[in-house]
Amino acid sequence: MPNSLFEEKLNSGKFIITTEIGPPKGCDISEMVHHIDILKDAVDAINVTDHQSSVLRFPSLGGCLVVKEHGGEPILQMTCRDRNRLALQADLMFACQRGVHNVLTLTGDSVDVGDHKEAKPVFDIDSVQLTKLIRTMESGYDMGGNELTGTPNFCIGSTVHPESDFIEPQLVKFDKKVSAGVQFFQTQGIFDLSKLRMFMQYSSQFPVKILAGIIVLSSARMAKYMNANVPGIMVPQNLIDELAGVEKGKGLAKGKEIAARTIKTIEEEKLCHGVHLMAVGNEGIVPEIIEMSRSESVKA
Amino acid sequence: MRTTDSDRKHYPRESRLEDHSLMPPCQAACPLHMDIREYVDLVAQGKIMEALAVIRSTNPFPSVCAYVCTHSCEDACRRCLVDSAVSIKAIKRFALEFGGDRMIQTEAKTTHAEKVAIVGSGPAGLACAYYLRTMGYEVTVFEAHSEIGGMLRVGIPQYRLPREVLDIEEQRLIQMGVEIRTNTRVVSLDLLFEMGYKAVFITIGAHQSLRLGIEGEESTGVIDGATFLREVNLGLKPALGNSVAVVGGGNVAIDAARTALRLGSSDVTILYRRTRAEMPAADTEIEQAEEEGIKIEFLVAPIKVSRKSDQLTVTCIRMELGEPDEKGRRRPVPIDGSEFDMNFNSLITAIGQTPQNAAEFGVRTGRGSTIQVDPQTLITNKVGVFAGGDAVTGPATVVEALAAGKRAAQRIDDYVRHRYPIDKNGTVIMDGGLSEHTIEKIRKIERLEPPVTSSKTRAHDFKPVEQVYNWQAAVSEARRCLRCGMGAEILFQDKCASCLTCLRVCPYDVPYVDESGTIQIPAEQCQACGICIAECPAKAIVMRKPSSYLHINEELEHAIKSFNKSEFKPSIIGFCCQYGLFGTGTLANLWRGARAGIWIVPVLCVAKIEPGHILRAFELGAEGVFIAGCGEQCARENTNMWIGQRSAKVRKALYEIGLEQERLAILNTSGQNEDLTAILDDFTETISRLFLASVIMQEVKR
Amino acid sequence: MIVAERKPLDVIRQMIAPYAKVLIVGCGTCVTVCGAGGEREVSFLHDELRLAQAKNPDGMHTYSEYTIKRQCDPEFIDLLDAKAEDVDAIISLACGIGVQAVADHFPDIPVLPGVNTTFNGVSSEYGVWDERCATCGDCRLDETGGICPITRCTKGILNGPCAGPKDGKCEVSKDMDCAWVLIYQRLERLGQLDKMRRYYPARNYQVVPRPRRIVVKSNVTAGAENA
Repeated sequence: MPNSLFEEKLNSGKFIITTEIGPPKGCDISEMVHHIDILKDAVDAINVTDHQSSVLRFPSLGGCLVVKEHGGEPILQMTCRDRNRLALQADLMFACQRGVHNVLTLTGDSVDVGDHKEAKPVFDIDSVQLTKLIRTMESGYDMGGNELTGTPNFCIGSTVHPESDFIEPQLVKFDKKVSAGVQFFQTQGIFDLSKLRMFMQYSSQFPVKILAGIIVLSSARMAKYMNANVPGIMVPQNLIDELAGVEKGKGLAKGKEIAARTIKTIEEEKLCHGVHLMAVGNEGIVPEIIEMSRSESVKA
Repeated sequence: MRTTDSDRKHYPRESRLEDHSLMPPCQAACPLHMDIREYVDLVAQGKIMEALAVIRSTNPFPSVCAYVCTHSCEDACRRCLVDSAVSIKAIKRFALEFGGDRMIQTEAKTTHAEKVAIVGSGPAGLACAYYLRTMGYEVTVFEAHSEIGGMLRVGIPQYRLPREVLDIEEQRLIQMGVEIRTNTRVVSLDLLFEMGYKAVFITIGAHQSLRLGIEGEESTGVIDGATFLREVNLGLKPALGNSVAVVGGGNVAIDAARTALRLGSSDVTILYRRTRAEMPAADTEIEQAEEEGIKIEFLVAPIKVSRKSDQLTVTCIRMELGEPDEKGRRRPVPIDGSEFDMNFNSLITAIGQTPQNAAEFGVRTGRGSTIQVDPQTLITNKVGVFAGGDAVTGPATVVEALAAGKRAAQRIDDYVRHRYPIDKNGTVIMDGGLSEHTIEKIRKIERLEPPVTSSKTRAHDFKPVEQVYNWQAAVSEARRCLRCGMGAEILFQDKCASCLTCLRVCPYDVPYVDESGTIQIPAEQCQACGICIAECPAKAIVMRKPSSYLHINEELEHAIKSFNKSEFKPSIIGFCCQYGLFGTGTLANLWRGARAGIWIVPVLCVAKIEPGHILRAFELGAEGVFIAGCGEQCARENTNMWIGQRSAKVRKALYEIGLEQERLAILNTSGQNEDLTAILDDFTETISRLFLASVIMQEVKR
Repeated sequence: MIVAERKPLDVIRQMIAPYAKVLIVGCGTCVTVCGAGGEREVSFLHDELRLAQAKNPDGMHTYSEYTIKRQCDPEFIDLLDAKAEDVDAIISLACGIGVQAVADHFPDIPVLPGVNTTFNGVSSEYGVWDERCATCGDCRLDETGGICPITRCTKGILNGPCAGPKDGKCEVSKDMDCAWVLIYQRLERLGQLDKMRRYYPARNYQVVPRPRRIVVKSNVTAGAENA
């Protein structure tokens, strides 16, 4: 019995497309609602980020509820940076009670990279322990060993970094996450498909679904900035050059083309089970990219 | 200028610190135990007159030593572990010639009723006279010859020790009140006691030449070395003829040979029965003799002399070295059948001397006719009769004789005052070599040999052969001294937190951790740079000779007092390396020129300046401070790095206090004088500007 | 070893501004070793304060200084009694432990901190200290090849690494090694990668209720038999 609509789709074997939206910095969610409306039918599920890059935002759980209200399928991104195990368990119960059954377990970016650098970083538990925690709750007990009245159920995802420059420790962690109970993975931004292929060779031994993360770049400058400042992102030089090679104003178009191209290749060659589109600050272009990837105008 | 009224001493524990430096090997080797390290360091600092004061405080006749001492100090000098020994003797001579007759004590008062007789006016006798006189005794020196000095006068040739030097010393003794009676031979000690002398010091030297004991030794043309030299020194000119042979290998033989050369004999040969390695004469003497054209025949000894008309035929036999004797020297053994003849006009014998007629005084004599004395009291077998010098030891060096005379004076004083003759406990002697890695880190500097007259010109007269250093040379040479035994030690082990800072900052890798985990700073390796002392976070390390860094405070206080009295404002304090001030000469102009408003605080290497010193300068009213070290000339490579670090710390403090960081400057002194002047001008201008601005601010505030 | 850093001079001046007679107390152990509060730094602070007083007076202060071996043992603190007679405030350059111990000893004198106690660390070379131990009370260095993930991983996670490291460096700073990369490399070298593959459950923070206390002596009543 699948825990959610999304899990059903995951298990169906179709090519999965997910995307993510970043909630606003404030109480005015109108733009977020607008994005949800455009995206909800174009993708299989929508991630709501949890203070991405440690920047304060409207809570992801709140955002997931809004997605649900508007007919979309939400994936709750849950980091360990800000809440201890009590708060995390409480949020999980709340999420489940309100019909949010997909969760992405994350350690969370460091407080230092965000906009509240003086905050106390919590990290009471890490992403693996969080996964285990969810499975424990599903079996009827909280982390303190006490019985629960009404148990949650989730489809659990996490992240992995196939393009890491030192892959071995990442694979050790990947194994642990799989053993702990993660069902699907959204990867960090994929730019080099050969690395994805190698990773897939490794991960295919496990019954987990891999969704390749696709970041839409808009300029060479953005790419360089992300390389320097955003954890886990490594845009290779050939793509930076490709972006730099277009005339002013055409950067985003090129970025979209690159993204669409990548998606098409992945889908046609069945490299993995789907993609996760990350159009940071530009959520509106996601449907367009999906279309492009399906059209003939883009070659794999 | 405001002062706070806190009760503070900059270094609270220092008032309890004493000098516990170890005696360096040079001082230990010197029979007089002169404070060599101290006076060499003073010369390096350019303080020549103070160096002279130190020299004269432990040597009664330093001018004599400056010419003829055999310098065991240089043989023991540890600088030779790095490159070559420091030219201590030449440095001493420089100081003496620079200072001249100043710093000489000529006053002495009689404070005791007793009078002492000294028989013989050689170095031992004169030294004894000097010290007894300074102690307050009445002293009479009896000398059989017409002139005083003993071997100094009649033995050592004038090209080694000029006559005037001795004359000056004699005058000085007379001025002190020593009675000198020349042409007076003492034949009876009892007579002396009847005359009222309380004690007698016999120091008749060893003037009697040993005989070869060969056939023909009495022939005309054969003369013994001691007699020969005496005659020449007293003004006679013995006729030697053109070719002369000298038998022997000691200093007397070399002296005789070189004197014969100077009297006109052009063909002088020394006959020595052992090899060069065994020759007792000083290496420099042998070298100089050979440079002058004197030939030396080794492993040869005369066995017969016969005279034919005006020639002497000397039959010699070749020798080879056999078994060592009881002193370890290999005995020469004649090779049978190797006799051969050599012809000379004269033959001078110089195979050793003994005291003359010592037994006549009724004292017990021993081996080589030398007088026997008790080693502790220095008394002979006759009550109240002391002996010392060559008369007791056999022929020895001048400085040993001086030491003997000094010791005898102390013993005579003990005897007269009915005290036990106990030697005071000396300081611990520092021994031990330098480790490889320390030697590696010490900057190598070539020894500056003291200048010597060219061998072509000098062999024709009796003018002094060795010349004196100039200022630059003396100071540069003195800077090579390693200052053994006065370096750092962890005095306050209770304060030591074993933080390992001293180990990590030492430029010579000297401190180490021993098996018990205690940090040790071995005295024989430490180069006394002072960096660990300034960096130790617990202030647990001191210099064994605290004056070398305590004086920074004294100099600073003195500079402050001076500029407080001056009307010229603003006042700038310059911490300048004392060695650089006079050594490299770059800063000498600054020191002498005394630019208005700049007050120099000399330090013994800027590595010893601590942030506290600089802050104190500002606190006491300096508007600007600069540091001027020797730059690249500094004996260690990373002094500049430390000055940079400490200055950065001070500048940060200045900034936090609200003072401009430019008030502290580090001057680069490796350039030319002109550059330095320009830099100083800039700095003075900057400080004047800042001072003016602050004065205006004060006015505005009012 | 405890590592601390001297507070800036203006902060210290502000702290002692209301007090006329101030005693500067140094500590001869940890803060001496890290160059923050030993006898030398006490002298230096004293010199700074006097110079500041001369140039930028803020009232009339008099200072005295004294350094004791440690400020975390009462026997050493006793030695301050004579020095603290009629001072208005004490500024201690010891770590926070010392400041508090001295404050306990002199309840009627304000005791002020002159340093910021920063971390427990190691010194690899002169003048450089790196944090190494978070005093978590539950040491697991056997599991991580001798490299502490709680101190050296910026997030302190036990099942590392996160997705952040680039070039072996933490996402927080290019100068900081990713602890989990280091742990992987060390365990690989030791042939103990299995340790990293294990699942580590969440930390038990109950070992760290603050303030902690350790009692070494046992509770033996006189005459009791061996239990």
